[in-house]
Amino acid sequence: MSLKSYSRARAVHVMLVYTGGCNGCDIEIVNCIFSPKFDAEQYKVFLTWNPREADVLVVTGPVTKHTEKPLKEIYNAIPEPKAVVAAGACALMGGVYKNIHGDIPSEEIAGPVEEVIPVDAKVPGCAVRPEDVLSGVVAALPLLLNAK
Amino acid sequence: MNEDNRITNKSTKETIIETEVAMGTVHSAAIEPYRVRLFVEDEIVKDAEITIGVNHRGIERIMEGLPVEKANALTEKVCGICSNSHIWNSVMVAEKGLGIEVPDRAQYIRVIMEELERLHSHLLYLAHGNEVLGHETFSMRLFYIRETVMELLRMIGGNRVQYGAPIIGGVRPRCELNAMRIQKLKEGMDFVEEKVLNFADRFVSDPMVMSRITGVGVISQEDAIRLDTSGPTLRATGVARDLRTDMECYDPFEFDIITQDDGDVKSNLLVRVFEVLESVKIIRQAIKDLPPGKITNRSWDMQDTPIIKNRIEVPRGTLYHSYKIDDGRARNVIIRTPSIANIGAMQHACIGYHITDAQLAIVQCDPCFTCTDRAIKIIEL
Repeated sequence: MSLKSYSRARAVHVMLVYTGGCNGCDIEIVNCIFSPKFDAEQYKVFLTWNPREADVLVVTGPVTKHTEKPLKEIYNAIPEPKAVVAAGACALMGGVYKNIHGDIPSEEIAGPVEEVIPVDAKVPGCAVRPEDVLSGVVAALPLLLNAK
Repeated sequence: MNEDNRITNKSTKETIIETEVAMGTVHSAAIEPYRVRLFVEDEIVKDAEITIGVNHRGIERIMEGLPVEKANALTEKVCGICSNSHIWNSVMVAEKGLGIEVPDRAQYIRVIMEELERLHSHLLYLAHGNEVLGHETFSMRLFYIRETVMELLRMIGGNRVQYGAPIIGGVRPRCELNAMRIQKLKEGMDFVEEKVLNFADRFVSDPMVMSRITGVGVISQEDAIRLDTSGPTLRATGVARDLRTDMECYDPFEFDIITQDDGDVKSNLLVRVFEVLESVKIIRQAIKDLPPGKITNRSWDMQDTPIIKNRIEVPRGTLYHSYKIDDGRARNVIIRTPSIANIGAMQHACIGYHITDAQLAIVQCDPCFTCTDRAIKIIEL
């Protein structure tokens, strides 16, 4: 294990981006890091709002047209190696917002997260459960730790 | 000498240029995506402008033409924090239009769900406010209290965030309160009350926190009325206006309307603290006199209605839904969320204070920008 991955394993910084979901998943993710019941900080996972500091990007919401560009910029601002976790039904397949009436696509939605930036781990649920978010972030960790 | 000084003073004042500090749409200080432009002169905010529209998903358009039951279920996705309020109000519109009587037991369970939601929304607000203040310990303690409320919501509704309790004519059968659930609710309420009282004690007696929040982001009573604010933000300026007093389902319960006088961040935080205790009071009364009987009235027929409007009091203020039923389908859906009424107050609260207080002044109005983004038409008067 190199020095970089040794230190990275001891301070995994998670950045959360809202891209126009209903706020349910977002609060649950903040909850799973801050709330003493789940307390991701005991596994040395920290919440940050600074992309330069982040290792894991957690994206919620169906990515509306207006948040597409900021999301790409945030993704590019995160230093390598990085991992992306898409959390919630909206982030995985657009949720209830993607289509209006059957197959007619909504004009507001730029598509699920996968179509905008590459996704490494997916966490299903509407809204996501904090336990699932933790296991999603943990599943993305090998990408960071095994990087050269 | 004096004249010289004056001239230099004047010249320095002229060199101070109004600077624009733009935040957003995605910014590390603003957690939700929205755009704020602060016009700053000498570090004092002279003007503020909040732009929304980033989160617009057009849920009214998706609801248009769906069967009423499906449209009601979809209103939950407007907001993940006050989801029960949306489905409740939407169901009430249909019940008002079709003339459906709701059984008493169902009304009580609906009130319990709504008050639990108020608990979790206010505790989240307090936690977020403390996080913005920089007091992470208080924030974590409040998340700890909130976790109990979330578990109670999961026990009754089946999901932690979107529980979908009300249906047309009552509540869903899975939300029936049996003896075990009532016992857990009682224990939960005791826990919440004890911990919130403890928090309030520590919070008020902390001189560091109080000096940070007293006199910051003041909205005067006249301004609050002029800017059409609603909910706890209005009550924090001393106006005793709570739509729960007009709602029939709240008639059996005794509770006080909480007001504070100052309209600053301290008043806003304290209004929510006391409202949490009032909600605990209402839930206790509802558990105590929970009437027996069925929880769903299924004897009703679908018919066409004109446009029906309904307003209820939700954790953040007044929520308005209206639609008409045409051939069993929802048409002309309009949703107005409380946060949109408070945007004027958010802009107003920033002005005249240091730029570092701007985020606090916005957060004190309990913004929820994901549910604020509705299609609106602004008419110049």
